[in-house]
Amino acid sequence: MRQKVIIGMLALAAIIFVRNLYAISVLPDEVNQGQIFRIIFFHVPAAAAAMTGSAVALIASVLFLVKKDFFYDSLAVAVTEVGLAFLAVNLVTGSIWARVIWGVWWAWDPRLTSALICWILYAGYLILRQALEEPTQRATFAAVYSIFAFTDVPIVYFSIRWWRTIHPQPVFFSKNGSFPPDWGRALGVNMLAMFLFYAALTMIRLRQEQTQREIDYLRRTAHAI
Amino acid sequence: MNAPLLMPLATLLQGQYDPIRDEIGRLQRNFQGLIWGFVAAWVILMLYTAMIVVRERKIRREMERLKNMVEDAEKKA
Repeated sequence: MRQKVIIGMLALAAIIFVRNLYAISVLPDEVNQGQIFRIIFFHVPAAAAAMTGSAVALIASVLFLVKKDFFYDSLAVAVTEVGLAFLAVNLVTGSIWARVIWGVWWAWDPRLTSALICWILYAGYLILRQALEEPTQRATFAAVYSIFAFTDVPIVYFSIRWWRTIHPQPVFFSKNGSFPPDWGRALGVNMLAMFLFYAALTMIRLRQEQTQREIDYLRRTAHAI
Repeated sequence: MNAPLLMPLATLLQGQYDPIRDEIGRLQRNFQGLIWGFVAAWVILMLYTAMIVVRERKIRREMERLKNMVEDAEKKA
């Protein structure tokens, strides 16, 4: 059943992506940026999915510390790892956009820097897990670290409002936002596809983590016999 | 006038500033950037998906091996 749900989600995400590619390609060019503005249709959904993932990781980490249920630890690691890949998409597409519009691959701007720190923090989370052998200790330390790492997420989100920055100002959920409705629709559809893809990958990783735990148990049983 | 001598000079002067050629170049770089962005996004996501698939196979093999090991050990015991 779970397998069918995952395959269904992946198929639906693929169909939406392919269908939406046409919708994005027929949109008029942005006046100042030209065609490159279309990168936003991947850049923003990837960031939104990654940020939502880090919020889920935070909740799962808190729940693990409260309930000591390893399901929440598995969920936290699954959602964080997939989020890291999506945040990498966000950083790389942003860098390519910056090369065309700003003329440089990277600028030590508050938004870019905080997003990079966020990526490094969550990569550190996965490295920390590799370094600890004992399952309960690993899950507890990782949960505390994940809660600490999440403190960077609001900084990433609000950085363009709090500080003077060269990153474009928000065009959604803002008084000054000027995103036309058809562009917003195309972005919303891509966002849905990206979230479906993210959820499907998380479900696969969650199942893998649970199987890995089972493997560890079997290994201990085999040694005991 | 000597035409063969003037032609390279005219080409050189044209080459100094050609707004149409500059604009075409800018649009081309713009489009290339967009394609590279899309390609990079998909390459990262597909590489990660491939990593997950490889890990899935490894976990399944490990699970089978361990199950057989436990069954054998129980029979011997």
